[in-house]
Parts: sequence; structure tokens; C-alpha cells
Amino acid sequence: MIVVLDIFLRLAAWLLLAPLLPGIINKVKAWVAGRRGPPVLQLYFDLAKLWRKSVVLSTAVSPAHVIGPAVAWVAIIAAALLLPVGPADASLSFRGDALLFVYLLALARFCIALAALDTGSAFEGMGVAREVSYAVLSEAAIITALLTLCVQSGSVSLATMLAPSAGAGAALLAAGLFGVLLAENCRVPFDDPNTHLELTMIHEVMVLDHSGPPLAAILHGASLKLLLFAVLLTEAVLPLGKLTLLQAVGALVASVLVVAVVSGLVESLLARLAFRRVPLLLTTAFLFCLFALLVAWKEGLP
Amino acid sequence: MTPGWLLLIAGFGLGLGILSAGKLPRVWLVFTLVGAVAALAAAASMLATGVTWNWQPDFVIGGEKLHLQLDGLSAFFLILLSVLGGAGTLYSSEYWSDKSHPASAPSGRAWWNGLLLSMGFVLLCANGLHFLIVWEIFTVCAYFLISLERQRRAARAAGWLYLASSHVAMILLFAFFALLAARTGSWELGPMRERTELAPLFWLALVGFGIKAGIFPLHIWLPSAHANAPSHVSAIMSGMAIKMGIYGLVRFTGWLPTPDSAGWVVAALGVISAVLGVAFALGQHDLKRLLAYHSVENIGIILIGLGFAMIAASHGNAAWGQLALAGALLHVWNHGLFKALLFLGAGSVLHATGTREMSRLGGLWRAMPWTASLFALGATAIAGLPPLNGFVSEWLVYLGLFDAVSARGPAAFAAIFAAIALGLTGALALACFVKVCGVVFLGLPRSEIAEHVHECGWRMRLPMLGLGAACVTIGLAPILFWPALATALAAWQPELANVTLPAPLVTLGGFHLALAALVILAGLFLWRQVQHNGVSRAGTWDCGYAAPTARMQYTAGSFAGIITGWFDWILRPQRHAHLPNKIFPAQADFEEHTPETVLENVVEPAGSLVMRVSLAVRRLQHGRVQSYIFYLLLGLAALAILAVMGGTK
Repeated sequence: MIVVLDIFLRLAAWLLLAPLLPGIINKVKAWVAGRRGPPVLQLYFDLAKLWRKSVVLSTAVSPAHVIGPAVAWVAIIAAALLLPVGPADASLSFRGDALLFVYLLALARFCIALAALDTGSAFEGMGVAREVSYAVLSEAAIITALLTLCVQSGSVSLATMLAPSAGAGAALLAAGLFGVLLAENCRVPFDDPNTHLELTMIHEVMVLDHSGPPLAAILHGASLKLLLFAVLLTEAVLPLGKLTLLQAVGALVASVLVVAVVSGLVESLLARLAFRRVPLLLTTAFLFCLFALLVAWKEGLP
Repeated sequence: MTPGWLLLIAGFGLGLGILSAGKLPRVWLVFTLVGAVAALAAAASMLATGVTWNWQPDFVIGGEKLHLQLDGLSAFFLILLSVLGGAGTLYSSEYWSDKSHPASAPSGRAWWNGLLLSMGFVLLCANGLHFLIVWEIFTVCAYFLISLERQRRAARAAGWLYLASSHVAMILLFAFFALLAARTGSWELGPMRERTELAPLFWLALVGFGIKAGIFPLHIWLPSAHANAPSHVSAIMSGMAIKMGIYGLVRFTGWLPTPDSAGWVVAALGVISAVLGVAFALGQHDLKRLLAYHSVENIGIILIGLGFAMIAASHGNAAWGQLALAGALLHVWNHGLFKALLFLGAGSVLHATGTREMSRLGGLWRAMPWTASLFALGATAIAGLPPLNGFVSEWLVYLGLFDAVSARGPAAFAAIFAAIALGLTGALALACFVKVCGVVFLGLPRSEIAEHVHECGWRMRLPMLGLGAACVTIGLAPILFWPALATALAAWQPELANVTLPAPLVTLGGFHLALAALVILAGLFLWRQVQHNGVSRAGTWDCGYAAPTARMQYTAGSFAGIITGWFDWILRPQRHAHLPNKIFPAQADFEEHTPETVLENVVEPAGSLVMRVSLAVRRLQHGRVQSYIFYLLLGLAALAILAVMGGTK
């Protein structure tokens, strides 16, 4: 009973808090640009409205157009349940859950990509091609980051891997994972969520033909994924597992806010990269993780 | 019934199938299916009891006593053979029927049974000489099946290339078994790990079995053979025939001692095959060729597991080696199941449209919902995504690698490299299967042939459904298959007997079950909400363009363009472009083709060099007797000089 209640509470927290993050980032961007900007809760209003709206489906689409977003949404939520929160372990923790976490996010990518290709649009084809190609590099970076944590903690379970601090390589790991966070969540300098030209988009163009509840599922899933990456980054770097629950939650909230503010600042201060440079930046993120791995290796030597 | 009787029934079923293949297709179908089911039952009962079945009658073939043996490892492979054999049999009865292929269907059925029978005997033979004989029969049967459509030039060429490469492998295996017999004094096979002087023979086995398994760069025969064979043959070739190479490697690394570097070499070949296999797959525009390159990729994943198991075995049987081998063996099953499913799906597409060219297809889901959804299931499985079977086996291999890293043993750095390569491979495979499913089944038809298609009949659908169900079952309840896996592990090396469950397969299975249930619930929930809110239809957003056509959809080539660009150095694509220039551009076109680099840039130049040298040498042979006498004199003179020089010593 306690377990069910625990899962239910965590699920509610993840689902309810996730749409806050894009709101904060947008507020930071507006603040830097000297605008008032949309309210922090804007995404909640959007989601509520989209959920009630009727759907316009392309004449070309198959049922995959609706089922894809649903599967992706479930996959991201399932990944959230695997992520521990400070000293309170994950709802479900077992050996090898770190790899399941990565592959659940891959499942979400697969489903969104197929739902996008379903429309037969060249724009969406371009977006999907970019998404799955760049994901190859960010997946290599994530696996390397997991290897770093595995070397450090000697475990393949997220709860144990994320408990201690990343040690001497923490800065390197943080830089690498932050790069992956920006790339995987359609932030500048990899992709611009506010761009207005279909030809130059990655993630936004993939949902061009979605509307109503499926679009709400996609947007909510995307915000949850952003929160997941922010939490993963924080826990990989800070020794949250060693604090009390209250301290850990405080530290977690503070650092997730920091991550959001920093990505808002990055978005305000940097221009988007040309597509041919994106692989270079992602390779840099991968190298950061690799160097963190080497540092962790050296540190563990007797 | 004991395994022996069941195997006898299986043998009789397949044998009677050959006799009835010519005139009685229905009788053939029944006999062959009975044979497959009996073989399945035999292998399953062996794995359930864990008792090795041995049969040594006083029956001599080629001067050697017959010795058949069904142990954990052969039973493990025999299960896959019987499942794929049964599925392919039922599928071919509609796909390659007498009506559609009156000339080749009867002989196709006979060779098919021959192939199943000979592969079964390869798994059972415990005598080197008999192993070689049935291996050769298996090779030849597969040749006749690949070139079943003999009127097509491409099929003949593919068959010939397969036959030539297989016989290179055959020569090496001859050498392997002959040297083994010479050094041990007997053709009998069995565990002899203590005789360390036999270790160097491993290299002969690696290349011999490696050619069959399609390890990069020995895979040259594989893409064209898989692409040009009838689809049920491609399914058994990719699902089972190349696994016979893996069976050979696993069997003889278990029975014989191996050199110290063997595990490292196997793991390195695995990494190369996995990454380059999927890179080549991304460059393909031919549906079945693309699937063929994915076989190279998956063989790579299997070899990574096997390689690390071998390294672990030479370092005191570390637990991570068991995990890696368990993952590799389970991947043998999984790859067999989902690759056969994908090839059968590709066969249905080919059957309906008559083309394997992806850029002419599109939007097939409307007319072929069964094929499309089952193909998508197979694609999810091969991309290694939860909750399906591909993820379970890759996860076991990953766990082995991560454990090797955290153990900080001698293999740690290699394991880091292999784990990153495995991650890359997974993401690349995902990209490739998004491309395949999207281009072939989704969107709009790109040409007229994709517009007028039909779904395949139930005898083609049922095998696909069965294979898809097997993929789902292994994904959702992996623990059910652990006993079989444990028996096979114990048969590899007795030290691995009674290994405890090394990974939380029960938890993973539970998680997968919950995930599958939630996916279905969420899908229904969203679907209901969409229906509730109301649906209206409109064209796809085209940026306001007035006259969009289906040919403006993204193509397979441009989709993979970013990634194939990264691999240009090995793919070496040939591009022919006439780009629009001028103010009023004339007709423009663009063509891209990814050649088989190893074949066209290494093997063919080497082959033509041999031919040129041989032609030059042939000038000596011209029929003029005077010159021949001159050669004789020269020879005699050379011998005389040798004798004189030798005499002075």
C-alpha cells in the first residue's frame, strides 16, 4: 500500500512540476531581453486548452500519429519513475535500471519520430532525420556519463550511481551532461524552440501537424524530459544521496532552478549553431564525459 | 517421448517432405510442419531435463562411426531452427506457391527441407568428418535456394558469390577438422580444453565460421545473397544459417582451448561488425539489402558478448563473462526471431509491390495494416527498445560490459570502448528503422506501384504473427527462458554449470509488463479523448505550397544523409548529380549508390590481379612442341645445377 502511495505521489510530483521548467526558462529569456514575457504557468494553460481542443488530422496519417505520442509519453513517465530523488530511492530500483532509463528515452524518440514521418511531409522528414542523427552522438555521451558514474560507484543502478558526488571530474561531467541536455531538449544552440522557419527546426518541426490532445501529450512529455535531464545532471554532480531528505529536496529544487536559469541565459546570449556545427558541439559534450570518465578512473586507482 | 524418438520423427517428417515436395505440396506442408514441431519438442525436452542425448549406433559412414549428440548448446540452436523452419515453411506455401512459381516451387520445397535437415544434422554431429559432410550439404542446399529464381542475373551472381565464399570457408574448416583429427588421432569431437597445443587451430575456425556468420569484413557474400533470395529463404539464411557460424564458434571455443588473444580479437571484430554493419545499412535503398546489413550488425553484438565471455573465461571465469555470454546467446534467438519477422514482412511488401526499392514505396499501411504493424513491431525489437526482446539481450550484454568496467579488471578499457560502441550501434539502428518504417509504410505512396497493393493471405500472416508473439513473450517474460539459457551456458563450459541468475530478469520482466499495459492504456485514453473532442481532416502542412505531390516527401537517401556523411570514408557512396543551375534550369537528377566497399574495393581488385597474373602465366602454354622440349631442357638443366651445387657441399 505504502509502495503504491509512494509511486502515486512521485508520479503526481513529476507530472505536475514538469511544465514549470519551460515557463521559467521563458521568463529568464524575457527578462534578459527586457520584455515582460508570458506567465510562468503559461504551459499549464496551453496544455489544459489543447486537451480540450478538437483534432485536425492530416489526410495522410495512420493511427500511429495518435498512438506514437501516447507511447512516448508513457516511456518518459516510466523513465521518471526510475530516477531517484536524493536519499529517497527511486520508486523502482534494480541492477541495470540506468540502461533501461536511456533506452526508454530512445523508445520515446522512436515513437515521436514515426508519428512525425506519418504525415508524409518533407519538413517533418528533415526534422526527424536531424533528431535521430544527432541523438546518435548524445546517446554516446550519455552512455559515457553512465560509465563514469559506474566507475565511481561500482554499480549499475541509478540509485547508487547518483548518490555520491562526481568527485574531481564533476565539472567535466556537468559540462558534458549540460550539452546533452540542451541538445536533447531542443534548446539553443542546437535548436531554437522559437524559430519560425520550418526548414531550420529540429524538434518543433516534428510536431508541426500534431494538434489537440496528442500535441498536449508531446509537449508535456518534452517538459518532463527537460526536468528529467536537469535532475539527472544535478544528481550526477552533487552528493544528494548523502543529505537528509529535506536538504536533498531543497538542494535539488535550487539546482534545477539554476539549470533552468543557465539554459535561459544561454538561449538569450548565444545564437543558434549552423547545422553542420551541431555534431562538433555534441562531440565536445561526448569528450567532456569521456574525460570525466578518465578522471574518475584515475581517482579510483589505489 | 525421449528426444531420440522425437528427432527420429523430425527426420522422417523432413525426409518424407522431400519425397512429396515435387507433386504434393499439401502433403509436403504437413510433413515438414510435423518435422519442425517434433524437432522443437525434442530440443525443448532436452533443455527442460538438462540431460544430454547421445546416440552411437554401430553405423559407419565414410569410415567413421556415427555419433549424434543433443546437448544444451545444440538444443538451444535447434529450437531456433525449428521455429524459423516452421514459420518459413508455412509462409512459403503461399509466398512461393506452385501457382506463382510453377518452375521453381517444387525444387524450392525439396531444397528447403534439405537445408533444414542438414542444419539440424550440423547441430547434432559430434564427429568431425560427418560435421564437414553435413556442413557441405547445408552450404549447397542454401546455394540452390538463393539462386532459386535462376532467370534473374542478380540472383545467379549472388548465388555464385555465396558459393565461392562458402567454399573458401569450407577449405579452412577442412584444414581445421583435419588438423584437429591429426593431432588428437580421432575425428570424435568433445571437450578437450586441457590440450593447450590445439589452441592455434582457433584461428582457422574463426575465419571459417566467420565467413559463414558474416563478420565484417568477411561478410561480402551476405548482402546480395540475402537480398536476392526468396524472402522465406532470406529469413532462414539471416535468422539461422549465419547463426550456424556462431554455433561453430561457440561450440569450439567451448570444447577446445583458445589462444590468449582470441577473446580480444572476437570482441574487436564484434565492435567493428556492429558499428559498420549498421552504417552500411543506413546507406542502402534496397529494403532487403538493408535488412541484410543489419544481420552483420547483430552478429557483431553477439560477438561482443562471446568475445568478453572468452576474455572472462581466461581470467578466472568472472561473473561478467557469464552475463555477456547469456546476452549473446539470447541475442542469437532474438535476432533470429525479429530478423525473420522483418524479412517475411519485406517479402510481403515485395509480393504486393514487386519492388524492393524503398524510394518507390510509401503509405503501405493503408492496404497492408497487418504487415505494417508486425514490421513495426519487429523494427522496435531490432532497435533494442523496451519492452521487447531485443532490449533484454542487449541489456544483458551491457550489464556484462558495465560489470567488467567496475571490476577494473584487465578487460575494463576494452569494455568501456565496447559499451560506447554498443550505444552508438543502438542509436544508429534506431535511426535506420525509423527510416525504413517511415519511408516504406507511412506517408503517401511515392509511385503507382505502391498505390495498388493488397495485404498478404493468412498463411503469410500467421508465421509473422507467431514470430511477433515470440518477440513480445521474450520481452515481457524473459525469466521463462532463463533455464534454457542456463543449460546452454553450462554446455559451453562446465564451469558455468549451476550459475545463479546473474541479473534481475524478473524485475525487468515485471517492468516491461507494466510498461506494455500502460502503453496500451495510454493509447486508448488518448484515442478516446481525440474521438471525444472531435476530428477533422485536412492536408499535411506544406507551408502554403499550392501543388504538393507525394514525390516531394523526404527520401530514404536524404533521411540517412547526415549519418552516411559521417561514414563516407568507408561507405564511399557513388553520386551522380546534374544539379539545376542557370536561370531556367534544365532537367536535373541525382543518384546515389552505396557499393559493397570490401567486395568492390578489396576482393574484386585482388581477384582481377590473380586473373591477370594467371593470364600472363598461361602464355607459357601455347601448344608448340619445340618450346615444351626447351622447357624440359631448362628444367633438367636447373635440376643438374642444383644437384651439382648440392654435391659440392
